[in-house]
Amino acid sequence: MTLFFQYVLSGIVTGAFLILATIGFSFTRRVEGFLNIAHAELLGVSAFTTWALTNLAGVHILLSAVLAIVFTSLVGLLIGRIVYDPIRKLGPSVLLITSVGVAYVIGGVVDAVVGTGIRSLDIPLAESYRFWGLRITNYQLVVVVFAALAATSLAFFLNKTPMGLAIRAISANPELAASRGIDVKSTSRVTWLISSGLAGLSGVMLAVIATLSTDIAFHQILQILAVAILAGLGSLYTVVIAGLIVGVAMDVSVFWIPAGYRPLIAFSLVILVLMLRPEGLAGRKSR
Amino acid sequence: MSDTIVSVQNAVVDFGGFRAVGGKAGLSLDVKRGGFLGLIGPNGAGKSTTFNLISGVLKPTSGHVILDGKDMSSVRAAEISAHGLGRTFQTPRAFPSLSVFENVIIGADHSEDGPIDALMGRWIETDAVIKEKAEQVLQRVGLAERRNDSVENLSGGELRMLEVARQLIREPRILLLDEPTAGVDPTLQGKLAKILTELHASGTTLIVVEHNLGFLLKLADSIVVLLNGELLAKGDPDSIRRDPKVISAYLGADHEA
Amino acid sequence: MILYSIILATLMYGAVYSVLTLSLNFQYARGGMINFGLVAYFAAGAYAYAIFTQEAPSGLDQYLFGFDLPWYVGFLAAGAAALLFALITGWPTLRLRGEYLALTTFAFAEVLHSFLLNERRVGNGSVGLSNVDRFDPTVLGISDRLGYAVAAVALMLLTAWFYNRLLKSPFGRSVDAVHDDELAAQAVGKDDARIRLQVFIISAVPIGFAGALYAMITTLVAPSLFTAEITFFVWIALALGGEKTILGAILGTIALVLFQEVVGSIPFETSRAAEVAASAEEIITGILFIIVLRLRPWEKLSRESGA
Repeated sequence: MTLFFQYVLSGIVTGAFLILATIGFSFTRRVEGFLNIAHAELLGVSAFTTWALTNLAGVHILLSAVLAIVFTSLVGLLIGRIVYDPIRKLGPSVLLITSVGVAYVIGGVVDAVVGTGIRSLDIPLAESYRFWGLRITNYQLVVVVFAALAATSLAFFLNKTPMGLAIRAISANPELAASRGIDVKSTSRVTWLISSGLAGLSGVMLAVIATLSTDIAFHQILQILAVAILAGLGSLYTVVIAGLIVGVAMDVSVFWIPAGYRPLIAFSLVILVLMLRPEGLAGRKSR
Repeated sequence: MSDTIVSVQNAVVDFGGFRAVGGKAGLSLDVKRGGFLGLIGPNGAGKSTTFNLISGVLKPTSGHVILDGKDMSSVRAAEISAHGLGRTFQTPRAFPSLSVFENVIIGADHSEDGPIDALMGRWIETDAVIKEKAEQVLQRVGLAERRNDSVENLSGGELRMLEVARQLIREPRILLLDEPTAGVDPTLQGKLAKILTELHASGTTLIVVEHNLGFLLKLADSIVVLLNGELLAKGDPDSIRRDPKVISAYLGADHEA
Repeated sequence: MILYSIILATLMYGAVYSVLTLSLNFQYARGGMINFGLVAYFAAGAYAYAIFTQEAPSGLDQYLFGFDLPWYVGFLAAGAAALLFALITGWPTLRLRGEYLALTTFAFAEVLHSFLLNERRVGNGSVGLSNVDRFDPTVLGISDRLGYAVAAVALMLLTAWFYNRLLKSPFGRSVDAVHDDELAAQAVGKDDARIRLQVFIISAVPIGFAGALYAMITTLVAPSLFTAEITFFVWIALALGGEKTILGAILGTIALVLFQEVVGSIPFETSRAAEVAASAEEIITGILFIIVLRLRPWEKLSRESGA
């Protein structure tokens, strides 16, 4: 029985990670209006930058993390302004298909620079804490804490700050917002920085808790899609619930079916949700 | 075979919290076989919604739509069309990928043909006959010289005539026309009036939504007036023309006589 | 000699993938359906072919089914398998549009991939089925490569004829009409739901055949050969060739395959150098894709966005 709850606990950690990874993705969908497949590649950029700085340059992990996040934010900003924003008017389908091209480019660059092979981050061994017969490591706790922080900060930002409100206005009605004097360019810049920054943070977490291989980014996009769809495309609050559901479902499923089928859970969820209730948990038609 | 070919019974159409058609008891109206019904009312009265109801594009939230004795309330629009109903739209809808000529022949194209029939080329024998028909129909609506044009080059009025042509070649039993004279110049309107009269004479049941009352009241044999999704009045064109309720409804909203 | 080898390989693989591009052209450029799961029909065809022509399992084999039938039966089975997969996955989901359909088709392809990877009883898991039974061109007196290059080109031409004939028929007009304006198409009696399903499943069949041919060429079917990379490769090929025409689809595919073959044939001194070259290929392909999309904003898509 404790084994079951251990899976639930690890599922919560997985879920926390998924929340972090997906919230930036859903943010892009909400504000820029399309599904950015290349979002997952940014996780790879951040993860490998963290690895390179820590393992190769000997930089302290905390500093590496910050630098990686800043770097990833800038990369995402650059791509957003140069590639996506100019073609925004062509509609979400073109942007979705374009993001596939972007994913190729980013993935290719990472491949070229890093090369193949498995890597892991050079950090102190994880310390476990035991309670109620369950075990959790300090790094896993960090993921959960950051997920909670990210979700609440984003909520606060969007609801209580002027920039956040401006972004919400733009995503709801771009022409109206622009005519009211809201600077579309700077809100766009902030949007890209935020979503890429979140991707950066997720990438750091990924480097901390997982071993890195060059196709890791691709594996993430499938799970991110599952969470985003279950949450309801464009919805941010439900990402938290959806992330936890997918994380726990995937980890707990190991109880009954072989571990190799874990990703299958994610895709099956995607198919079921799209067939039965495309709006996901959010309930209204996505924007 | 009953006298009524279209029967809307206590139909209600709700969009979320907004009742587009139906009022309190639902909308009921009957159209007799071979009749020419004019559907009028100020903007927002629910005329196009009623069309969508009859043609199956919208399903009634409650109530029934009976076509030729069969309950079509839950049947898909495409199937209803295949059963012999045709319609045009308030904003004319043409197929930009197809030329003017192709836009017309698609009306007569073998609708049941799937990809296998296409591969086997079964359509080739009857194609010549259909092309001949399309030619005649284009003549009738005055678009014969535009046959190879792209639909992007047609004016609004010409697009409406194209929609009519597309339905003419189908020879539907019931034809719904949504504001067929909007944007159509007077000479073309004359052509349209002639076509409608010929259709009526040949037994096609016509239901026409119009704001151009001068055009409609001369052709229709009965009129239904809608206001806020409910039936305001019905009767023959002369009594409707003089009905004080109808006059005030139109004066209360915008109108053209 | 190297040039001859590159040309032959380009023709062979180019023709096989062209079948996929032509099918995507039909599904997307004409039918308006965004399919991100093309590789699934390809894999279904390849695996069906292998399973039908394999000998029954023996010894250390973990797979359960091997019917040991001749290659032409396997070929037909491949088409049928692809059709069935498209039917089962398409029927409940085709009412979805745009990005939702893209995601569903993508998810189904990944489900199939995961299934083939994990279910050893079907396809031997990650190891796959090797020594696939196939027709031997040397009995005709020509080399193996040449024989299959000719076969691939023949399949491609047949597929091009197939789609051309479909598009020129009344059915083709219906497909265009439904894509243009569903409501108007309904008003002339075209069953849009049924037409979309027909487009979806009939375009899966050539992909299944291509999968069978691919299996015959490589003599191996394994999950690692059938990843989403193939789907996106086809999308890029379609974009490069100009998405509307049949000739464009073929040329775009051949150009992309040629690019990859040329890069692949450069003799690199270190494996690291080869890796970098492969990555550079990815990057250039991605950039080309982005540029093409930017310059030719596919009018149908723009119309969808309500512009």
